[in-house]
Parts: sequence; C-alpha cells; structure tokens
Amino acid sequence: MEIPRHIHLTELGRRTVNPMVFWGVITIVLSVVLFLIISASGIQSEVYLLFLVPVIAYLITMGFFVGYVTKLNRERNLLLADQIREEATKGAEFKKLNQDLETYAKQLFDKDFELTLANKRLQNLEQAKSKFVSVTTHQLRTPLSAIKWTFHMLLKGDLGPTTKDQHTFIEKGYESTQRMIAIINDLLNVDYMEADRSDYNFLPIDLPALIESVLFEFANQAESKTIKLKCIKPPTASPKVSADPIKLSMVIENLIDNAMKYTPKGGQVTVSIGDARMNSVGSSLEVIVSDTGIGIPPHERDKIFHRFFRGSNATKVQTDGTGLGLFISRDIVEKHGGAIWFESEEGQGAQFHFTIPVNRNNLSN
Amino acid sequence: MENDSSKKTILIVEDDEFLRSLTAKRLEKENYHIEVAVDGENAISVIETIHPNLILLDLLLPGKDGFEVLKKIRGTDATKAIPVIIFSNLGQKEDIEKAKALGVDDFLIKANFTLDDVVGKIKKLI
Repeated sequence: MEIPRHIHLTELGRRTVNPMVFWGVITIVLSVVLFLIISASGIQSEVYLLFLVPVIAYLITMGFFVGYVTKLNRERNLLLADQIREEATKGAEFKKLNQDLETYAKQLFDKDFELTLANKRLQNLEQAKSKFVSVTTHQLRTPLSAIKWTFHMLLKGDLGPTTKDQHTFIEKGYESTQRMIAIINDLLNVDYMEADRSDYNFLPIDLPALIESVLFEFANQAESKTIKLKCIKPPTASPKVSADPIKLSMVIENLIDNAMKYTPKGGQVTVSIGDARMNSVGSSLEVIVSDTGIGIPPHERDKIFHRFFRGSNATKVQTDGTGLGLFISRDIVEKHGGAIWFESEEGQGAQFHFTIPVNRNNLSN
Repeated sequence: MENDSSKKTILIVEDDEFLRSLTAKRLEKENYHIEVAVDGENAISVIETIHPNLILLDLLLPGKDGFEVLKKIRGTDATKAIPVIIFSNLGQKEDIEKAKALGVDDFLIKANFTLDDVVGKIKKLI
C-alpha cells in the first residue's frame, strides 16, 4: 500500500488563530465602526440600538457556530492525522515485509533451482549406474553362459566321452561358473532393490502354482544331487495372495536354493503351503521350506538375514552362496507385508517360514 | 542342414556364433530341424519363408532387436501363433514385462539355465 503523497501531515494538525477570538474581534470592531458611523450621521440612539442589538446578537451566534465547526474540524483533522501516521507506519512495515518476502522468494527460487539441478544430476547418475550394472552383468552373463553350457554338455557326454578325472575337473569348472552366475544375479538383485526401482506389481497369485513352477526349475538339480524335493499342498484350494510374481518367485528360489545347498546328498527338501490364517492385519498364507541339512549355529541366528552373511559352517559343504539371498528375501517379503523367520537346530536341518497376505479382493477364489 | 519334413523346425535367433552353435548342436540331438538367424532383419525374412514350429529369440541383436522381431511375429497373421521363447541375458523386470505384453510364451535368462532345461521348456510348448 502506498501513502498518498499530496497529504502534508504537518498542515493537518497545525494550530491556527482561534476562529472564536477572531470572530469576537471582528464583532467588536464592526460594532465600534457602526457606532461611529451612526453617531456621526445623527440618527437617534434608540434607532441605533434597534439595529445594533440584533446585528451583534447575530454576529456572536455566528461566531460561536463557526468556532464550534472549526473545533470539530480540527479534532477530526488531528484524528485523521493520527490514523494516517499510523497507516504510514504500517505501510512502511508492510513495505519492509514485502521486500523481505521478495528476498526470501528469490532465495527460495535459487535454492529450488539448485535442488532441481542436483536432483537431475542424481537421476542421471542413478540412470548411468543402473545402465552400467545391467550392461556389465549382461556382458558378463553371455560368456558365462557359453562356459556353463560347454561344461554341462561335456558333463552330459553330449560332446563325447571323458575320463573320470576329466569329468571331476569339468564338474568343478561347472560349479565355479554356477557360483559366478549366482553372484552376478545377487548383485543385480541388490542393485535393483537398493535403487528402489522395484515398484511392486501386486497381482492376485495362485501361490501353490507359483511354488510348483519354481520347483520345476530345481528338478534337475535335485536329481543330480539325489535330494528328494517335495511339495505339500493343503487339501483344499488356497485363496489367492496379493504378490508380485517375479519378486515372490525370487524368495521361493532363494529359500529352496539355500535348502538344496546346505543339504547333503540323499537328503530331503520339503516345501509346504499352510492353510490361510488370520492374524492382526488380515489373512495370510504361510510357506515353510524345510531341509535335512547342516542347520544354523545358535550364535549366528541374529545375523542370518544380514547382508553378505554366511554361516560359519557353510564351508563344510560345497556352496556357491554370496550371503545376499536371505537379505534380499527378507526385503521382498516385508515389502509384501509379510514376515520371514526360521527355526533350526545345528545338524538337524532348518525350517524357513514366510507369510504372504491373502488378496483382499479375491477372498472367495 | 537337410530338411526332413517329419522333423519340427526350430529357429534360433542369436548373434553370438558360439552360443548359436552350442544351442543348435544340443537341439539337433533332440531330433529337431534347426534354422538360424543372426540378426533381427534376417530373423523376420527367415520366419516369413519357413514358418518354424518354434522360435528361440535373443533380445539384444544388431539392427532390429528381439522386441521388434516379436512384435512383427505377433502382428502378422501367418506367424502370430508360432510359440516364441525369449532366450537372452537381459532379464530385468521391465524386459520380462515388455516381452509378456508382446505375447511371448516363455522368458529364459541364458546364464540361469542349461541347454537341457531349454529342451524341457521347448517340449512343453511343441
């Protein structure tokens, strides 16, 4: 708000000659002049009084009236001056605030610009990192596929007979390749998880069917390691769960893979699917992956879901673990709103449990 | 490669020569007739002339990539019913979803499977 420049505040409140005094003097002067004129002209004093008294009375009344109006006017002017002075102060304050606001707005704009730039740079970096990871892993996986397939064909005798010693070495080569592929896959998954690009695609999923399709992938491995791989389903159809099938498959794969790795030849790995159970947040399906393997040492139970952690007894069996499988699995299960835990006695195998919430819109299926 | 009309034909679209020859060798053992294509353009022209029973399709190919080839296969009346297995080392969620949206029958990451597994997958489809 601007103060009108044409108002001069000092004039408004200025003290002038009192109009009542001024009017009184005029009345007296006029009376004296009138008296002198009349007495000089020889008019009788009665006639003079007849004129003079009403004139003086009129002048005095007018004097009072003008004085009163002037007084009101001056009081009003003083009040107005106060108001204007007050508003001028407010205006100045307002102007200051306005300037401050403009300064802050400019600072905010600059900061916003800086942050937008920084964010853009981070996004570019993130994209570059993801591209780097996916290209690198892809480039690594292609020659590894060639090595793996060659070893596998040699092992299967597809490329002609090998001696027993050759077979043993080729087997080691094949296992090493598998280990390297597992590491690359795990690293790729961790990158995927940490980049938080995993916008989960939740769908109504038939959990027993998903588990069977994962088990199918392990059939060859189980056969070659003479491990009995079993699936126990509930007698009645399970309700569909709400899950991202690719992510959930990863959890099941990790748990079965672990069970197979830590179970010696001739052992047993069982995947059982429980009935839907109610808990505080709703209904869930529970899956248990149990094995007859080496189990988990009691003092390492707290670390089992930690990143890169591998049991101290892991080296007792030939394994290709990176210590990332359970770390990734826990993240996935928790993002589904489920829980993951285990029970184990060293030397007596382990049972890994996880729960996945039932799809609320599909309870009848 | 001789063409025996009683054999089922599988087209392998793969730009890596060694992977291509290993895959061909393993599948020939299963008594399939094998055709090969080394890039996307090549694949499309082979598919149009021979109508294979199944296509094993890599994604990263010189020129037209596997997604474009798949789109072309599914968009052509004469070829849209041919089973297609993506066989690639790409395997991020986005790739899998994109391939599924384009109507792929299966998606296998090369490094995660042996050629025996691939034979199993093929036998499920044809």
